[in-house]
Amino acid sequence: MTEWLVFQLYGPLASWGDIAIGEYRPSCDRPTRSAVIGLIAAALGVRYDQQDELDAITRGYRIAYRMDDEGMVMRDYHTTHVPASGTGRNRHIFATRRDELMAPEKDISTVLSSRDYRCDASVTVFVTATENPPYLLRDLIEVLKNPVFVLYLGRKSCPLALPLNPRIINADSLADACAQIPPPLFSLKKHLPSQVRIFWEEGINAGLSELHAVIRRDEPMSRKRRQFANRVEHVGFLMRERV
Amino acid sequence: MSEFIQLHMLVSYPPSNLNRDDLGRPKTAMMGEKQRLRISSQSLKRAWRTSDIFSRYVGEYIGVRTRQLGSFIQNSLESGKPLTDLIFNEGGNASRKTLSPKDATTWAVKFVTLMKKGKISTGKEGEEKKEKEGDSAVSIDQLMHISPQEVACIDGLLARIAQGEKVSDEDLEVFSPAQTAVDIAMFGRMLASTPQYNVEAAVQVAHAITVHPVTVEDDYFTAVDDLNRKEEDSGAGHLGETEFAAGVFYQYVCINYSLLLENLQGDRNLAAKSLEGFVEAACTVPPTGKQNSFASRAYASYVLAEKGIQQPRSLSVAFLNTMNSEDMLKSSIQKIHETKKNFDKVYDLAPTQVYEMNVTSGTGSLKELQKFVAGPV
Repeated sequence: MTEWLVFQLYGPLASWGDIAIGEYRPSCDRPTRSAVIGLIAAALGVRYDQQDELDAITRGYRIAYRMDDEGMVMRDYHTTHVPASGTGRNRHIFATRRDELMAPEKDISTVLSSRDYRCDASVTVFVTATENPPYLLRDLIEVLKNPVFVLYLGRKSCPLALPLNPRIINADSLADACAQIPPPLFSLKKHLPSQVRIFWEEGINAGLSELHAVIRRDEPMSRKRRQFANRVEHVGFLMRERV
Repeated sequence: MSEFIQLHMLVSYPPSNLNRDDLGRPKTAMMGEKQRLRISSQSLKRAWRTSDIFSRYVGEYIGVRTRQLGSFIQNSLESGKPLTDLIFNEGGNASRKTLSPKDATTWAVKFVTLMKKGKISTGKEGEEKKEKEGDSAVSIDQLMHISPQEVACIDGLLARIAQGEKVSDEDLEVFSPAQTAVDIAMFGRMLASTPQYNVEAAVQVAHAITVHPVTVEDDYFTAVDDLNRKEEDSGAGHLGETEFAAGVFYQYVCINYSLLLENLQGDRNLAAKSLEGFVEAACTVPPTGKQNSFASRAYASYVLAEKGIQQPRSLSVAFLNTMNSEDMLKSSIQKIHETKKNFDKVYDLAPTQVYEMNVTSGTGSLKELQKFVAGPV
């Protein structure tokens, strides 16, 4: 019997960042490992420069999730005014945003970006501990209920619209764990797909056969350098009644 | 564990195009499978953060009023006593290493120039200032207000200078007086060149979404050519279409009070002032998109403020099933109450402290709301 920490993620807007180089900032259709680890770390109050603590959390838990509703894509056109910072003698450091916007108009250029979001995405997350978790799963419950930093779904402008409702259940496999937890919101969709997709990482006993495995670059390596490593994610599905 | 303040607002905008996408159409989002109008988080933040209302509150905040800041800084560096003690505690003990009078004066002049001009002057003017002897170089011409938070900031830099650490011009330029410190503390700062000065924003603003489904409308317009004598062609000079829509928006804001206090070096008074300013700005300042064409300035019709330590959550699920009612505001307010109550019941949550301001029923007031939000948590 394994212990699973279960909680739900839902918000009208979510954004699970995929690899982004220029002005197009895409979102995956499902959470990234780094987003869930980040959420737990934020609840614990770990700061960006505490790399050791972040590493301990990254290595201490294994994550799986069930996409109860994948949501729809929305592309936001986002413009940002950026003042020229000048060179040499004319170099100017702006202390605040207001200062930046007060710069003469000829010095301000506009940066365009297209950022993707997922509307109405709903996910149930299942977390198990590895041999050396920094905190016991049951200790994480209190922390998730009363977090230190605000929690959000990928971007800070995407707050949670449901309490996480963290709890511990016991199940032999991920499939059994899923069967114990109903989806959080009755879906408003008239036509639900008959299958629900399940995703899990290496080391989790799924209890169902995988459709395929994909490689995702969402294993957090260094927060300061914003580096991520590849990891394997397994994809499977469950029929809706079973869920 | 942190203390959070959550604001749930309902704002009703008449036909407008407050925030447009790359095609000039009002921004939209899908929620509950229906299209809603949207005002982006970045648009709201910009409107509030650059508003005069917001800066007025902090501008009025008075700490110590003096001309002698430069002398105090010089004294602090020469005597080794912390600046905070010299200004607020009438003395204090020499707990730091001391600098020579010449070095102390140089640094004091640098600070004074910074406070006066907002940047360190290089070149001729700076040289002249350095050569002057005595107090005249370090005095500031006008009386200026300086808050405990600013003193604490300067003191931090003085401690580093006393230790012999290298404090560059960049470090000084990034120092921020109260008005700008509040902006950074609430909305954050990210500097590529000096990432050590990055500050995590204490305020989280969600995208505002209408509570009901919206179809964007088109306004077909023509512009007449005044000098066209209609001898050959009686058409208009220009044809075009503007998109617009009206809606009742649900806006959600979450303020991490503990982080705000930390970002302001524990200055509770400044935090209170900044929250009061933020609440008034959030309730009364609209985004500026197409205001000349539509004059769609609206105040919040309803605000529910919650304070507590529980995981913050938006109440947007109240509007997952779109509102479809004769009295949109009244039903939306009822829906918010119902949803909050159900959440507390189903998830077994301790109720938060609340305050409501309701224009439709004429209860509550902005002043009381500000007091509630800014008061001791």
